[in-house]
Amino acid sequence: MVDGWPRDRVAIAGVGWTEYAKDSGVSTLTLASRAVSRALADAGLGHGDVDGVACHRVGDSVQAVLVAQALGVRDLRFHLDMFGGGGTSHQVVAQAALAVASGMAETVVCWRAVNARSEFRMGGTGRAAPDALEFAYQLPYGYATPPQQYAMLARAWMHARGAAPEDLGRVAITQREHALLSERAMMRKPLTMDDYLAARPIAEPLRLYDCCLETDAAVAVVVTGAERARALRQPPVLIAGAATGGGHWLFSNGREDPTVSAAADLAPRLYRAAGVGPGEIDVAELYDAFTFLVPLQLEDYGLVPRGETGGFYADGHARLGGRLPVNTHGGHLSEGYVHGINHIAEAVTQLRGAAGARQVPGAETALTTGQPGYVGGTCSALVLRRDR
Amino acid sequence: MTVRPNVDRDSAAWWARIAAHELVFQRCADCARWRWPDRAMCNACGSFAWRHEPASGKGEIASWIVNHHRFSADSQVPYVVLTVRVDEQPDLLLPGAFDGAHDDPRLAIGARVTAGFRDLPGEPAAALLTWSAAAPQAGGPHQNSSTRLI
Repeated sequence: MVDGWPRDRVAIAGVGWTEYAKDSGVSTLTLASRAVSRALADAGLGHGDVDGVACHRVGDSVQAVLVAQALGVRDLRFHLDMFGGGGTSHQVVAQAALAVASGMAETVVCWRAVNARSEFRMGGTGRAAPDALEFAYQLPYGYATPPQQYAMLARAWMHARGAAPEDLGRVAITQREHALLSERAMMRKPLTMDDYLAARPIAEPLRLYDCCLETDAAVAVVVTGAERARALRQPPVLIAGAATGGGHWLFSNGREDPTVSAAADLAPRLYRAAGVGPGEIDVAELYDAFTFLVPLQLEDYGLVPRGETGGFYADGHARLGGRLPVNTHGGHLSEGYVHGINHIAEAVTQLRGAAGARQVPGAETALTTGQPGYVGGTCSALVLRRDR
Repeated sequence: MTVRPNVDRDSAAWWARIAAHELVFQRCADCARWRWPDRAMCNACGSFAWRHEPASGKGEIASWIVNHHRFSADSQVPYVVLTVRVDEQPDLLLPGAFDGAHDDPRLAIGARVTAGFRDLPGEPAAALLTWSAAAPQAGGPHQNSSTRLI
């Protein structure tokens, strides 16, 4: 199956962001339209070049076809409007790549557009919660928001690895350091360990700075064939490998051990598809709705041995200038929360060599991941590569 | 907490048993595998034949949280939510309430717990699972102070 993956034949040719805000004041259709239009302009393409659209959502954003109509796409050759959260973020781009590789479509725009602070806060505070079966068994216990669901996992993972609160604090602090180097990032003040430890508990063992931001924003990427991308405005970033996987669904009748994510099964497929090993990853943008997911994925993607992530962070290896810089944009914790696609956008920026003060020198290969399957039951990830 | 279970066609029978203070799980009539929550098909052998069987009501704490943030206006914080791994099968993990305070020293990964029921106000009758812990044992199992914040 992996042998059929179109390694390096499809590229990300454009990236576009809206501003990151607490209240955008506009609809998700407007946010999506702005991000897509900017991504196309970045690629040197026009709205009329689009023949495919792809997004994911959980009942919280505009339908994909409405964005296609807004762009003026008459003959929509590829259409993907996937139900799902952060676990599906990288599947959207993978499916777009397959559509392009097959010839089904030539230019697919992928986006995520959310008013995740002003309109639809995750877990249903604000509007109705997503109509997902798993919530029916949790909500009566006062247990249905992501900080609670991930706190439950964080305690089990910390217990199994012997991790201390300071180990999670270093993740938040490292990413804040990176965010200070980005004009896009929402969090622009330094974070100290004292700040981290003194912050109020949200759902123990998670404190305030273990939790991601809630952001009104959209990010879009343009997916097209590698040959075509080479003739466009930006240096192409090749989609070397992609993989999707399963997850923990209500934690029953499936995976018994919540301290190892479904990404541990996905990772070997992903590296095979890309033709690289974990040792060749120069920069990692790992889905970080909550701090502990980052060291957990460093383990499950084979980047750091199990139980050694605490030392990895304490020794500065995850920082810019370290052995493997992680979440160079600040991630969901400090840049903004765009449900995984901002990690793809940052990987593209790094591989273009366009990340400015936060550039990883000579970055050639990047791992970028979606939520590793804990809520929603599915995960996904990409390996991206600089064109040579 | 005032949120009543959102019952659907798959879950109605199980919630009715909980309302009657009976803890049952589905069991596959062909491969004998336990499953939760209720659904038509066995995900181990594919059989559609099943029955509800009484559960032991025993298990251990797989993890727990102490919720502090008021996610809804009427939430009485702090409160505990457990994930319990029941004795019937190691891959059955249920969310539930804890019969104790948020700083109860019996809260520990691996601590033994027993199921009970908490009736909810309103009609029709509805109840939730609430788990009580045994007294902590000397040199108790699995307690890890590094993961306790308060």
